[in-house]
Amino acid sequence: MSDVSEAGRDRAAQEAQLRAVWANPSGWRYWTSVNNTQVGLWYGSAAFAFMLFAGLLALLVRAQLAVPENDLISAELYNQAYTLHGTVMMFLFAVPIFEAVAIFLLPPMLGARELPFPRLGAFGFWSFFIGGVFVCGSIFFGAAPNSGWFMYPPLATSEQAGIGADIWLLGLSFIEVASLAAAVELIVGIMKCRAPGMRVNLMPLFAWYLLIVAGMIIFAFPPLIAGDLLFEMQRMFDWPFFDAARGGDPLLWQHLFWIFGHPEVYIIFLPAIALLAMIIPTFAGRPIVGYSWIVLAAVGTGFLSFGLWVHHMFATGLPQISLAFFSAASEAVAIPTAVQIFVFIATMLAGRVIFSIPMLFAMGGIAIFVMGGLTGVMVALVPFDWQAHDTYFIVAHLHYVLIGGMLFPIFAGLYYYYPLIDGKHMSERVGRLAFWLMFTGFNITFLPMHITGLRGMPRRVYTYPADIGWDWLNLLSTVGAVVLGIGMFAVVVDVTLHRRRKPKGEQNPWNAGTLEWVSEPEENWGVRSIPRIESRYPLWDQKDLARQVHAGEWYLPDAKEGRRETLVTSVLDAEPEQVLRVGGTSYVSIFCAATLGTVFIALTFKFWVVSLLAGAAFLAGVIYWLWTGTGEIPEKEEKDIGHGISLPLYASGVKSVGWWAMFITMSGDGTAFASLVFGYFFFWTRHEDFMVGLEGPGMFWPLVALALFAAAWAATVAARETNRRGGLGLSRVLLGAGVALSIAGCAAGLAGPWSYGMDPTQHVYPAVVWVLVIWAAVHGGVGIIMQLYCLARSIAGRLTARHDMELQNVTLYWHFMLVTALITFGVVGLFPEAL
Amino acid sequence: MAATAPALASCSGVQSTLDPGGAEATQIATLFWVMTAGGFLIWAFVVALSLYASQWKRKSISERGAGRIIFWGGVVFPVTVLTALLAYALWLMPWLRPFGAEEGTGVRVEVVGSQFWWHVVYRRPDGTSVVSANEIRLPVGERVEFSLESADMIHSFWIPSLGGKMDMIPGRTNRLSLLATRPGTYRGQCAEFCGISHAYMAFPAIAMEPADFEAWLEQRSRPSAGVWAPSAGHDLFMREGCGTCHSVDGTEAGGTQPAGIALGRTPAAGIAGPDLSHVGSRLTIGAGLLANDEEALARFIAHSASIKPGSQMPAYPGLSPDELRAIAAWLKGLQ
Amino acid sequence: MWRLLPRQIESMWTLFTAPVVWAVHFLACYVGAAIFCEKPHLLGGDFNTLRVGIVVLTVMALSMIVISALLAWRQWGFGTGDPPHGDPTRRDRQLFQGYATLLLSGLSFVAVIYTALPVLFITDCIR
Repeated sequence: MSDVSEAGRDRAAQEAQLRAVWANPSGWRYWTSVNNTQVGLWYGSAAFAFMLFAGLLALLVRAQLAVPENDLISAELYNQAYTLHGTVMMFLFAVPIFEAVAIFLLPPMLGARELPFPRLGAFGFWSFFIGGVFVCGSIFFGAAPNSGWFMYPPLATSEQAGIGADIWLLGLSFIEVASLAAAVELIVGIMKCRAPGMRVNLMPLFAWYLLIVAGMIIFAFPPLIAGDLLFEMQRMFDWPFFDAARGGDPLLWQHLFWIFGHPEVYIIFLPAIALLAMIIPTFAGRPIVGYSWIVLAAVGTGFLSFGLWVHHMFATGLPQISLAFFSAASEAVAIPTAVQIFVFIATMLAGRVIFSIPMLFAMGGIAIFVMGGLTGVMVALVPFDWQAHDTYFIVAHLHYVLIGGMLFPIFAGLYYYYPLIDGKHMSERVGRLAFWLMFTGFNITFLPMHITGLRGMPRRVYTYPADIGWDWLNLLSTVGAVVLGIGMFAVVVDVTLHRRRKPKGEQNPWNAGTLEWVSEPEENWGVRSIPRIESRYPLWDQKDLARQVHAGEWYLPDAKEGRRETLVTSVLDAEPEQVLRVGGTSYVSIFCAATLGTVFIALTFKFWVVSLLAGAAFLAGVIYWLWTGTGEIPEKEEKDIGHGISLPLYASGVKSVGWWAMFITMSGDGTAFASLVFGYFFFWTRHEDFMVGLEGPGMFWPLVALALFAAAWAATVAARETNRRGGLGLSRVLLGAGVALSIAGCAAGLAGPWSYGMDPTQHVYPAVVWVLVIWAAVHGGVGIIMQLYCLARSIAGRLTARHDMELQNVTLYWHFMLVTALITFGVVGLFPEAL
Repeated sequence: MAATAPALASCSGVQSTLDPGGAEATQIATLFWVMTAGGFLIWAFVVALSLYASQWKRKSISERGAGRIIFWGGVVFPVTVLTALLAYALWLMPWLRPFGAEEGTGVRVEVVGSQFWWHVVYRRPDGTSVVSANEIRLPVGERVEFSLESADMIHSFWIPSLGGKMDMIPGRTNRLSLLATRPGTYRGQCAEFCGISHAYMAFPAIAMEPADFEAWLEQRSRPSAGVWAPSAGHDLFMREGCGTCHSVDGTEAGGTQPAGIALGRTPAAGIAGPDLSHVGSRLTIGAGLLANDEEALARFIAHSASIKPGSQMPAYPGLSPDELRAIAAWLKGLQ
Repeated sequence: MWRLLPRQIESMWTLFTAPVVWAVHFLACYVGAAIFCEKPHLLGGDFNTLRVGIVVLTVMALSMIVISALLAWRQWGFGTGDPPHGDPTRRDRQLFQGYATLLLSGLSFVAVIYTALPVLFITDCIR
């Protein structure tokens, strides 16, 4: 008897301890919280609010088009409204909402307390929020971007685009940084932070999809960032990348934009399908049929989606053979999509379906999406696209795909996962009403648009003449849009008002099988104790699991040292490897996001000094963040996590999550660099005489720069090795030498184009050489800061032979730096000689 | 001629891809109908199967059976259909747009897109050329090659009833070949967003019998008789400086462009405003915006910037109604 | 014969072999055609040279995918066990990897053939 009460006291003490460690700060300091639950909810609410705003813009657009020759709003306002509608829906809703859902759901789903970099997640959210408010706010000053969400030059580089173009470029570059931060966090989280025993064949499908999607973000967003860089160089400094008169080419932007833009569609679509892959098994009452097929579909779609971008450019006059390759890939991507749909159907057929509100939205979404997919197969064929391209047929197609493939699943997910937020259900009655309003409203809006487009109505016209067959179709679309809007409004009312009256329900109301349903909405710790997973649907197959988890009978049930901790496991078999201490509440995330935001916003208005000062503050913030929050040497080597397992508290190199984060970040960075190199060779193919008789950077300086960077890399690697063997003094000398060599490398790199007097505003050739060299030099500069950081850590005694995580990660950075230098200086120095 | 303008405006098929009057549009419409019929069947099947699957009162199938559904429905069927469709479309591509490096033999038409109108030059096989604007005419039954360029932004040249579109991109010369098969008056429109008045960048496209087309070209190669009609409008046109931007064949109004701009380099400096040599006989003014009558011409001259936002043409609100009418009357006489 | 195949590798990356082959093949076709059509004098030969080049590339890519599929088939135990491979064992994890890799090889095989299909129909650098 006393044993039991002692155990009860232990348990209460553990819970109090955990609660204290994971508690959110109160008052206004609440906003400095970095806990994944909070960040996920903020992220989701902000994205949802942006969606409603963009929806209102769409209603404005539809009101203007309701009747022919309407003058409700001006052409300028119309152009700003439709541009912002597309931009906000894509960048501020569709992608972020999934980052939000993933940040909120993944830790409990994977059986982790937290994602590995909570402060990075919070930084991403604040960047997104600041950038989003900045971009959306512009329309109230009549300064919103007005050249379409695709921002084609030369229109968007011209003066007609106004400051809106800068707001678009800089605001969204900032938001893309946030997306990349989230992607890094999700990949590392899914690969390394799963519960013990959750092998890759037992991972929840949502995690599989998100892993692929985050990987796609790493390779899809950087080309746009590279494009933004070129674009802004043209707008700010008149470097002629897209100016045909000086050798530039507007088509380069289209390539870079759509290399991002098409994978983006699947980045939006796959996570939505992932939600369905969680919902459908629950309501079919059985495990998904064809788990491997889903993995095939996710991976296959992820790859193929990078071979589709030119299908947005079928009418640009590229050789037919090039168009044909992309048409072929666009058809091929329909196969994995079909697999996904049939996996769902097969799962339902093999089970018995309880038809609830989430299922209603899921089925409605599939019906709409399949139609969008079929019209997608049609427009992927070059001849048909020659007609359909840039018409309302495409508007219909893309909304069928995105609303059916994304918005309806999101609503299904909202109704399904709502009990995880506060333990209450959303209203079934309102849900049913909202679904039917949305479903009919949607079809009344967009079904006629297929015909409008086939009857020749182009996109992005702010008005149209009467009597050429578009009148009643447009009126119908407007009526439908209003109905759709009312349906969405019903859900908003339900979320904000109705739920207050609902009593708190049971913990796993749908009797789902996946692990996220053990999490307790009122607690911040994610899971009370981290269980060993033995099934894809542990709550169905592992008897008594929920009780054991809640009773703290599994791993890591306490936080004795008063630190936020989660488990790191191996990639394939999820064997426990390390207890990871993650960052807690801190101002540093908000500070860094705000300063970086200031950099971008000040650049928009060309406030150079403000921008520079904010940049310095940002750098200082990041260094403070890293110095105080990472690479800490623990007070003991190992920690007992229960069940006789003791794990190290520190890891470096391949075993550390920081190493993975660096690797993934640099893969993205390398993709941006590759896009610039693509630009260099793109201009080469465009011109009979690439250099148009202009001076190149010569061979001497580029080769000197390359040699110096190679030496700096060697010094860094040697510093790591000597440090590992305990030669701390020699290691510091090597790091110092590395710094000197890198500085000389940067200078030599810039000396090439400088000494030959290459003028980047004169022609695209000098401009593209300068951009590559500056890219390498800036990366050299970052490399120098990293070397100095390691030197300082070593001198401060925070970097030792055993605890060398920083140096390991910096060396990894330098591997990428070496490749960057090799390609940059090889290309700018040697390629002109080879011509 | 002017009587056809309202007719153009009230005919609902003038810009429809599904009411084809050209070879490419016909082929693509067929492709569309084939795909639509097939697509509808597939959609109906998938939705019906999903609805059946969501019934509570039915027998569950085995896991193995479910696997077979994925394999046949998700793999074998789509691969078969997609392969056939892709082959059909690939075969169609060079058939529809068969032009390579070699020049066509008939009339070639050079079109330069500009904010927000079209500069058109007909190059005849004998080396002479005819300059026009904001209207395309082409002979039925003969392949016509278009060279497409842009003077400023990206535009897209599109006559839905005849065929697909082709972009006009600064620094590039794109080509398009169209074969009209049915005489008629169609409507073309810019399909790539090009700025504030993108909505107002259209043009009538008229497919004529070859003999009529030849006669029309021949007539257009000489100044309009209306040029020499004694008119206050002519003097006002010259006095107000309209000729600085607009050329009128047979007058000193040369515009700033030569008789046809040299293609192959960026022509931005060359063209300021549409050629008006035979403007009176065009179906529309303002690039497909207004039916061409004297009242509309006068209105456009007085209020160009508000009728067509972003138009380069300065408005002339200072002209009296009589003066406007005089200019409009003279222009209308340029048949 | 199975001894000739390389030994089994314990890695997540093997899953991506076939799609990577598709990506490389796709990129090679696209870049090759783009350079051929933009810089006709650089690579020399007529359009048929390009077509033959693409066919050769395709055969190479397909063979690599077949090898990847064979390795995956072996990892899947030559199809001896049926899916779903959801047991919490190392063996089932390997079977799952093998099966998923095999499926991806199939998809990549079809996608490579699709990419090569245009050279049957398009015989010139027409635009």
